[in-house]
Amino acid sequence: MRISSALFGAAVVLTAAIANPPSSLADVIRLGADVDAGTLDPRVQRDTTAYRVNNLLYDGLVQLNADLTPVANLAVEWENPEPTVWVFKLREGVKFHDGSDFTAEDVVYTFETILDPELKARFRSLYTPISKIEAVDPLTVRIELSEPYAPLFSYLDLGIVPKAYVEGGGDLSINPIGTGPMKLASWERGSKIVLEPFDDYWGGKAKADGFEFVVVADNTSRAQAFEAGDLDIIQSPLSPQDIQRLAERDDIGKSVMGGVGITYLNFNTAAEPLTDPAMRRALAMLVDQDTIANGIYEGVDQPASSILLPSSWAYADAIKQPGFDPDGAKTALADLGWTDSDNDGVLDKDGQPLTIEISTHSEDPNRIQAVEFIQATFKQNGVDATVSIADWPAFFPSVQSGQHQIALLGWLNIVDPDRLMFAQFGTGGTQNYGNYSNAEVDALLQTGRSSIALPDRIDAYRKAATILAEEVPYYVISYQGYQVFHGKDVDLQPDVRGMMRSAIGY
Amino acid sequence: MLAYTIRRLALFVPMIAGIVVVTFGIMLLLPGDPAIVLLGEDSSPQALIDIRAALGLDRPWYIRLMFYFGDLAQGDMGRSIFQNQPVADAIGSRIGATLELALLALLIAIVLGITLGVAAALWRGTLIDTAAMLFAQLGVSMPVFWLGILLMLLFAVQLGWLPSIGRGDPLLEAIGAAATGRPGPLFNSLAHLAMPALTLGLNSAAVISRLVRSTMLETLNQDFIRTAHAKGLGVSRVILVHGLRNALLPIVSVIGLRFGALLGGAVLTENIFGWPGLGQLAVASISQRDIPLVQGIVLSFALMFALVNLIVDLFYTVIDPRIRLE
Repeated sequence: MRISSALFGAAVVLTAAIANPPSSLADVIRLGADVDAGTLDPRVQRDTTAYRVNNLLYDGLVQLNADLTPVANLAVEWENPEPTVWVFKLREGVKFHDGSDFTAEDVVYTFETILDPELKARFRSLYTPISKIEAVDPLTVRIELSEPYAPLFSYLDLGIVPKAYVEGGGDLSINPIGTGPMKLASWERGSKIVLEPFDDYWGGKAKADGFEFVVVADNTSRAQAFEAGDLDIIQSPLSPQDIQRLAERDDIGKSVMGGVGITYLNFNTAAEPLTDPAMRRALAMLVDQDTIANGIYEGVDQPASSILLPSSWAYADAIKQPGFDPDGAKTALADLGWTDSDNDGVLDKDGQPLTIEISTHSEDPNRIQAVEFIQATFKQNGVDATVSIADWPAFFPSVQSGQHQIALLGWLNIVDPDRLMFAQFGTGGTQNYGNYSNAEVDALLQTGRSSIALPDRIDAYRKAATILAEEVPYYVISYQGYQVFHGKDVDLQPDVRGMMRSAIGY
Repeated sequence: MLAYTIRRLALFVPMIAGIVVVTFGIMLLLPGDPAIVLLGEDSSPQALIDIRAALGLDRPWYIRLMFYFGDLAQGDMGRSIFQNQPVADAIGSRIGATLELALLALLIAIVLGITLGVAAALWRGTLIDTAAMLFAQLGVSMPVFWLGILLMLLFAVQLGWLPSIGRGDPLLEAIGAAATGRPGPLFNSLAHLAMPALTLGLNSAAVISRLVRSTMLETLNQDFIRTAHAKGLGVSRVILVHGLRNALLPIVSVIGLRFGALLGGAVLTENIFGWPGLGQLAVASISQRDIPLVQGIVLSFALMFALVNLIVDLFYTVIDPRIRLE
C-alpha cells in the first residue's frame, strides 16, 4: 500500500511537471525536421534543413515570396541599364549578428567566394553567368553578366555573409553570422538547432521568442510528436498515411498543395536499346502514373503531364507526355521489331530478349515500391525488367556517370524552369546524366535563359517541353506535393519551399 | 582478480585492431564516395579530385589504415568529414545519451525479465505462467520500430502523459540535482527516458524471462531446494537465496550478451524518439560514408560491449564463489 501510493504520488508530480511547461517557453516555435543541417554557411549549404535555417539567419539581396516572386530585402531597389548589367541600391543601417555594419563589400565578397571554385559550393553553377560584381559605393552594388540571365533573381535570395568575420577566421558552418531576424543560440548536433530573435534586426523584432528545428528522422514519429503537441509545425516529407489523418483534422492549420519538386524516370539515351526515342516512348507508355501517384503516394503527389510544373508561369496543360497505354506500347514495340517469337513471354528481336534495368535508391520506401510496380507492369507486357536498389552514395554516382538504363529520381526546389532544364537537357550539361542531346532544345533553353521578356521565356520553355514530351529523356511520373501542418496559434503563410519567415511575423 | 582484469583489458588492444581493420575493409568495399556526398550532384571532376586530396582519400588504403592506427595510438580518432569536428568530440557529446538509454533499458530488461521468469516458474501451469509467457512471446516478436510508434501513440498522443520526442536533462546530472533536493530535473529526465527505454528493453526482458523460467524450474527441482525446505527455511529465502542465486549464472552471461543487442536496438530506437545518441549518428555517418566517424562509433560500441562483458565475468565470482578467474 505504501509503495503504490508513493508511485501514485510520483506519477502525479510527473504528469504535472510535463503538463505545465515553464511559461517562458510558450512562444518558442518548434519545427520537426527530417535531417540535421550539415553546415550553416549559406554559400555551401546542401540539405533542406540548412536551407530553411539559413533563411531565418541570413538575408539575401531579395527574398522569394510564397509565390516565388522576388521582393526587396537587403536590396531596396534595382535597375537594369543594359540587358547584362544590374545595379542594386542596398538597405541602410543593417547590422550583422556580431554588431558589424552591412555594406556592399559583404555582397561582393559573398558572390565572389561562391563563384570561386576553391570554395566548392554546391550551387556555384547557378551564379556562373555573373562575370563581374563590384561595390560602386558602400550602398550600391553592380553586377555584370556574361549574357542576359533571366533566372538570376530566383537565386539572389542567397544569404549575404559578413566579409570581415569570415576573413578574420570566423567559421560560418558552425558559428553562423547573418543579418536575418533570428540568430543561432545553440546547436545540439543531430538533435536540435535553437534560434533566438536578433534584437537589432532592421525589420523589427520577431513575433516569437525563439525558433527550434528539432530533428526526428522517422516520418511517423515526427507526425505523432506533432499530434502530441511536442512540435508546432511539421512539413514534407511525411508519410501518406499521416497526411491523410492530419488533413481530416479541423483543429490544426494545414496546407496541402502542389510543390516545387518532381519524381521522374531518367532514361539513359546513350544506353541501348534506349537510344531510340520511339523505344523510350513505348516504355513510357508502360508506366502507370495514376496508380503510382494515387496508390503508392496515396494522392499526395499528382500524376505529371510534362516537364513544366503546374505552379510555374510556363505551365501548359496541352503539353502531354505519352500516357499509360499498354496496347499502344505493344504496337509501338512491335513496330520497332520486338515481338515474342519464341513464346516465352518476353519480347525479342534478332534472338535477343528485351531486358531493361530500373534502378533507384534504398532510402525512400515509396520509390522502391514505385520501381517494383513499374517492373511488374513491364514484365506483364513482355519486357524483362530487373530492379537494382542501392543506397544513395552508391546509386547516385552510377547515374552520374551514365551507367544506368532507367533510374527513378527526383528534383526539388524548381523555382524557375531553367533550374530543371538547362543543366539537365542541354548538350553536355552538368546534370545531363542521360546524355541527351538535341540542338533545337539547346537553342530553346538558351533563349529561355537569356530572354528578359516573360512571354518569350514562356514560349521557349513550352516549345522545349513539347519536344521533351515527344523524345522522353525524362518521363515525369508525378509532381510532388507539399504539405505543412501547424498549431492554430502559429500564423503561417505556407511556402512551397518550406521556408518559415511568415511564422515569426515577416 | 586484479591480474585477471589487467589481462582482459590488455586483450582489448588486439580486439580494437581487429575491429578497425574489419570496419575499414567494409567501408572500403562499400560503393560510394564521401567526396560526392559532400560536394553534391553537380560537382566538377576537378573539385572532387581536390577534396579527395584534402581529405586524404586519394592515398592507397594501406597507407590510410597505417595513418589511422598511428593517430589512434596517440588517442586521436581523426576528424569527421561531415560534422566538421573531431570524431572524439562528436562521439563524446552523444555517448552519454546512448549509455543512459541502453543501461536503463538493461535495468528494465533485468528487473522485468527476472520477476516474470521467477513468477512463471513458481506458478508453473497457472494463469500467471501463461500470461508471463504470452508477454515473452509478444516481446520477442514485436519489432522495436513498431513498438516505439505504438507506445508513442498511446502515452504521448492519446494520453498525453509523456513527451514524445527528445531527451530531457542528462540522467546523471538529474540524479545529482535530486540528491540536493531538486527533483524536477530527475522527473523530466525519466519522463523522456521512459518510452525509449521501455521500447528498447522489452525485447530483452522477454528473452531473459524465458530463460529465467527454465533455469528456475530446473533449479527448483534440485535436491538442495528440498533440503532447504526441509530445514524449515522461509519460502522467500529458499526461492531467492537458494533458488534464484543458483539459477542466475547462465542468466548473467545472457545479460552481458543482450547488452550488444541493446546497443544495436538503440540505433532504431533513437531514430524513432529523436534521441540524440550514437545510434542516430551511426546511421547518418554510414549513409554519408563518413569513414572516420563510422570507425569511431563502431569502436565505441565495441568497447562498451567488451567492458560490460568484462564486468559480467567479474560478477560471476560474486554470485558463485566456486568460480576462480585465472
